[in-house]
Amino acid sequence: MILQRLDTIRKIEVVIIVALAIVLLIVPHVAGTATVTMVSRIMIFAVFAMSYDILRGYVGVIHLGYALFIGGGAYFVGILFTQFGVGIPMLLLAVVGTSVYSAIWALIVGKISGKSGMIATAMITMAFAEIMRSLMTSWFTVTRGADGLPFRVPPPFNDRTMMFYASFIFMVIMAFLLYKFTKSPTGRVWQAVRENEQRAIFLGYNTNRARTIALLVASVVGGLSGVMFGLLNRFVNTDLLDMQMTINAMLYSLIGGTGTLFGAILGSALVVYFQNLLLDLRGVHFIFERWLLFIGALYIVVVMFMPRGIMGFYYDWKDKRAQKKRLLQEAKLPPQLNDEA
Amino acid sequence: MSLLKVSGLVSYIGLFTILHGIDMEIQPGEAVAILGRNGAGKTTFLRTVMGLVKTRSGTIEYKGQSLVGKPPHKVSKMGIGYCPEDYGVFNELSIEENLILAKHKNDAATAERIAYVLDLFPDLKKAFKRPARTLSGGQRQMLSVGRSLVNSPPLILIDEPSKGLAPVVIEKMSLALKEIARNSTILLVEQNFHMALIVTDRYYIIDEGKTVHNGLMKDLENDKELQHKHLGL
Amino acid sequence: MANILTLLFNGISEGALYFLMASSLSIILGLMGVVNFAHGALFVWGAYVFRMVFIQTGSFFFGIMAAMVAGFVIGFIFEKLFVSRVYGNVGAQIMITLGLSIVFTELIRVFWGPTPLIVTRPEFLAGVSHIQLGGVGTVIISHYRLFLIIVGVVIAILGHLLLTKTRIGMTIRAGVQSGEMVSALGININLYFTLVFAAGGALAGLGGALFAPLSQSINPEIGNMFQLDAFIVVVIGGMGSFMGSAVGSLFIAIMIALIGWYVPALSSVAPVTIMALVLIFRPQGLFSLLGLLRQAVKK
Repeated sequence: MILQRLDTIRKIEVVIIVALAIVLLIVPHVAGTATVTMVSRIMIFAVFAMSYDILRGYVGVIHLGYALFIGGGAYFVGILFTQFGVGIPMLLLAVVGTSVYSAIWALIVGKISGKSGMIATAMITMAFAEIMRSLMTSWFTVTRGADGLPFRVPPPFNDRTMMFYASFIFMVIMAFLLYKFTKSPTGRVWQAVRENEQRAIFLGYNTNRARTIALLVASVVGGLSGVMFGLLNRFVNTDLLDMQMTINAMLYSLIGGTGTLFGAILGSALVVYFQNLLLDLRGVHFIFERWLLFIGALYIVVVMFMPRGIMGFYYDWKDKRAQKKRLLQEAKLPPQLNDEA
Repeated sequence: MSLLKVSGLVSYIGLFTILHGIDMEIQPGEAVAILGRNGAGKTTFLRTVMGLVKTRSGTIEYKGQSLVGKPPHKVSKMGIGYCPEDYGVFNELSIEENLILAKHKNDAATAERIAYVLDLFPDLKKAFKRPARTLSGGQRQMLSVGRSLVNSPPLILIDEPSKGLAPVVIEKMSLALKEIARNSTILLVEQNFHMALIVTDRYYIIDEGKTVHNGLMKDLENDKELQHKHLGL
Repeated sequence: MANILTLLFNGISEGALYFLMASSLSIILGLMGVVNFAHGALFVWGAYVFRMVFIQTGSFFFGIMAAMVAGFVIGFIFEKLFVSRVYGNVGAQIMITLGLSIVFTELIRVFWGPTPLIVTRPEFLAGVSHIQLGGVGTVIISHYRLFLIIVGVVIAILGHLLLTKTRIGMTIRAGVQSGEMVSALGININLYFTLVFAAGGALAGLGGALFAPLSQSINPEIGNMFQLDAFIVVVIGGMGSFMGSAVGSLFIAIMIALIGWYVPALSSVAPVTIMALVLIFRPQGLFSLLGLLRQAVKK
């Protein structure tokens, strides 16, 4: 059933995904708390990065204020829990609040990107996140600024294993929803916009509307990943609104493969693991204290030499193979003759 | 030796092949028209010669030297003048500055040449210090053509000088080009058959990125069938 | 009244710093279609190099010079090794300059540590004058701020002359319209790209160097703030236009100074709000030049 519905994903890929899912489900029973938390973080960041990929990879918007969403979601959880008490109702309120907050930013950014183009959008979104950060810094009585806000979370999220499962379910649901979106008619307009906006307009697509929908979907999902991150971290400070968080999302989706959606999961796993590795190396040499240096360098290298990321490589290889097969069939030649050519 | 020799030229823009098989040979002193329908690849051909579009295969030789892979500024310095489609004049610069910018050398010969350009196009002399954005379409075209003459290049590539101009101005421009052609080799891309007839003696027809026909202008003038087939006249 | 005059004076002096950042950003954007997100990092490098040389040699002048050289060299490297590889690809340009900004800000932390450092003002500029204005009170004039204004004006005049009176300036103005056509006239436009990017780096470095004694404390974060304000100036004021960015800088600096005094809570929100409103309602720019931005994107 599911195999038929996900027709564009090949069976072998489904097998890989299912195998991965089984491994992930076993992890909390065999691994230590640190690993369980790290994998939970990877899964939440993966959602954050996938939502980013909807913008960068599917409609070509470069949003440099993406920290607004992960930070915003986490702050909603933190502030509501500390001000009005820990509990599931507050969590639901946080989810609603984050969605509204993210949607408002999406509409503003949509308005601007439709009128002023990619460069101006990049510039202003960077400024938006900076404003939010300075607001949260100056709202010290509630947020305690850069010192940050620790808080307790309600059951079942206060248990590491349960939180792990929650993150896993969250990732699976969001990945499925985002995937459905990219395959919907709106998703096809997104791709037309990315490839050639002029042409898409010419073909009669309402590209501004498609872009705003993408912004809405991505921002709300990004905000929800912030809620989840708040639950996992039980702590929020202004670092979550920092440019660094946006860069993280860019890096995860970039390494995995821009415009490939699931690539972001791979990217998030690799980069978070790499970051942890660098942090562990701090004792070895002081330079690893500055792990950001390596992340930045990695990022430049990927932009310059691997612009399509890991999944990009994989899809290229698959396309080539499929093309070869098709050529073989069309030519109706014995394969050994064609292989020589 | 021929001045410009192109053979088997192929070039792409993005993923699309625009030219696939241009062959051409121009002798010094000739005035040659490149004709063909809209979108046939004429403009891309000139841009490829200038190095503005990458050559994928084939050869372009100018005075026996290969132009393939040379950046535009080197092609220009080798002695090829270029007037792009839609003038390519710098709107925020005055006429004077547009001409100065084109100078390769700061010598007496170049100064004389600028004086010659101003004699050829008296309109430019009148508005010498005005920014180019204040000029009419015809005047901009004069500036573009004049600017390409500043270094006395042996070969001048001109892309559709008649585009958007009034018939009277086209007439004037045709005569000016005819005058220029007395001292330089001209390669003229043109949709306006009348202008091509005045200025050039020989033609190449490009269709779907290939040179499909060539001959003398006066033969083409009488060959209505060929005109219809390739030019849609 | 005297209070307002002092505020205006302070605002204008900071406007000089915005101008150094914004004018170079804006010319780079106009000529190459690139927004340099690493401009703030160049600013920080200017500040730290200035401090180092100023302390070692005791010469304010050498410090300034060293900062400009550092900005030029780093800008040169940025363009030559990184940005030049991705011309025409707006997304990659934004991401690569962002990456450079992270790496070079992080290098500051490696070399000079993450904590703020103290910078002193040179003695001959350290003073303050109290100017008695009949009836309105006393206006406080810091000599260092006066110096900033003078530097800003001198750079504006020199830049304007360079752009309008020289062949280099002519080439840059022509290149803003079409770099391709400039190269078809026999000019190596790539050389200009590199030089303008590097010169922009020198101006950003100068900005950082001049900022250090003004705030008397520097940290690796200072670049971000100035870069954002410079972006705002570029959008509101003079996209691609040198003198336009001077007007925009004055406007934003005075606005920030006044709002910072009367409604401090809004001091960071107001400029960005104006930027957003301009982008939504007048995307061609408050002073009508944003069109160039879109042209740059299409290039």
